[in-house]
Amino acid sequence: MTQQTVLIEARGLTKHYGKFAALTKVDLRIRRHTVHSVIGPNGAGKTTLFHMLTGTGTSTHGSILFEGQDVTREPDHRRVQRGMARSFQVTSLFASLSVRENLRVAAQGVTPRQALNCWRAPVGQRACAAIVDEVLARIGLQRLANRLVGALSHGQQRRLEVGMALAARPKAIFLDEPTSGMGIDDLDSMKHLIRGLRDAHTVVLIEHNMNIVMDISDTVTVMQLGRVLAEGLPGDIRADARVRSAYLGNMITGGQA
Amino acid sequence: MPKNFTFLLALAVVLGLPLVLRSGSLASEVLIYALAALGCNLLLGYTGLLSFGQGIFFGLGSYTIAILLTRAHLPMPMPLALAAAVAMGALAAALVGWIAIRQRGTYFVMLTLAFAQMFYFVAYTASGLTGGDNGLLDVPRPAFMDTPWRYYAFVAAMFLIAFALLLRVTQSIFGRTLLAIRDNEDRAAAAGYDLKTFKLLAFVISGAVTGLAGGLHAMMTGIAPLSNAEYHTSETILVITVIGGTGNLFASVLGSAFYVLLADWLSTLWPRWLLLLGLLLIGVSIGMQRGLWGLVEGAWRRVFGAASAGGQIEGEQG
Repeated sequence: MTQQTVLIEARGLTKHYGKFAALTKVDLRIRRHTVHSVIGPNGAGKTTLFHMLTGTGTSTHGSILFEGQDVTREPDHRRVQRGMARSFQVTSLFASLSVRENLRVAAQGVTPRQALNCWRAPVGQRACAAIVDEVLARIGLQRLANRLVGALSHGQQRRLEVGMALAARPKAIFLDEPTSGMGIDDLDSMKHLIRGLRDAHTVVLIEHNMNIVMDISDTVTVMQLGRVLAEGLPGDIRADARVRSAYLGNMITGGQA
Repeated sequence: MPKNFTFLLALAVVLGLPLVLRSGSLASEVLIYALAALGCNLLLGYTGLLSFGQGIFFGLGSYTIAILLTRAHLPMPMPLALAAAVAMGALAAALVGWIAIRQRGTYFVMLTLAFAQMFYFVAYTASGLTGGDNGLLDVPRPAFMDTPWRYYAFVAAMFLIAFALLLRVTQSIFGRTLLAIRDNEDRAAAAGYDLKTFKLLAFVISGAVTGLAGGLHAMMTGIAPLSNAEYHTSETILVITVIGGTGNLFASVLGSAFYVLLADWLSTLWPRWLLLLGLLLIGVSIGMQRGLWGLVEGAWRRVFGAASAGGQIEGEQG
């Protein structure tokens, strides 16, 4: 893999919480315009890895490269300007603001200096209307644009959660269990939404729903006990004996959520 | 609600106070504490920061203007001294804020409290500068505002300017970003905002307004007392802000009018009037967390129907 094809690279990523090693020497290469899923049983270190990559936490050892640049020590808000954006596992929105305002704030976050403007209201050119409308259409919430976020259904909030990351027009979009708690009806639209992101973005996906992972991933990384257990195409992963035993058999093939 | 409606409400109070009050000093006091509460509201209502340090900026404003007007032995025009009070408030807020916003939640609150206590003891100890226990006496006022009502006119002008500026700030991109930070700090950080920068700027603006209030207070009473630097002042400002309601600027004016006038009335009736205030605060904390402004808004909606429902947020879209 050349520098051109790899967008994000983690080298020897290690994270200790006290004496507990949540991650041990994880190497990861995420290619551009792919959906790269990270799976593993609970406690495998998926979320820790996610936080290291998005800058929510800092690693104990190892480094993270984004487009060849070392971003290991950069906090999350700075990484947004480089083109990294994330969604949250537990829905985390601006609950007392409208859907449109949520997305406007998210879109504005790419140029946070402009948000220090104490004089001008976010109207006209400053409303980021084009990008907000585009995201609204993509997540299917146009009609609810002026609704307060607190009044949305869970499925709608989950879609907005992804929309918040999209509004930053990121190169890499990190999705932390985007389908958590979703009903069957909503799952399908979320699956299509994520699959469609690959054209313009690179998707890093943490997901428990194996149907979705196996259907839309280009690469699957399996983690166990803070280490990478296996990596490959979905079909290969499904057939991998180590992965099967790590998952105690049926979960990986049974397609249960 | 129309965009300038909030300002018109404030203007109505400014014009109305002389009609209903006999004492120009009392009217001035309402606006001065309203200013202080506005500064507190920007932090509490718009940014989600509970600051017990507002008394520092208020006290510094008082001391600054008193020192410049009585001790500096320089030709010091009053507007310049008042500007210095504003600047000192902003500077102190930058310092306190810079350290306090490193922590969140309880520890942030504790840090502001610690600064408030420290400031009091510094003011008490540095009696050469602050007059210690006695405070600074004989703070002069220019001749053209020799009567309480003339001074009120000056305070009213300062108040309206500050109110209009703050209104502009809260409706700006910056103000709207503060609301997002108040709602969800983690998401705001993940969206690309450096929380410290935004909180610090909110602090500086808050400190400037509070410094102005402190300076005006010293000129009103003619003294810069140690009590203006006391922790009690921080508490009063916070209580006014909470009683008025957070998240709308006019709420702070409402809170100040209510507190100052009630205190003036009750203190003549019963020396233990603070007890009643305590009961009121309990009532607000339990039953009406949106404060007096929440009551007014609720009544407004009941009178004018559901048309204005959805309230402030949608109104702000305009």
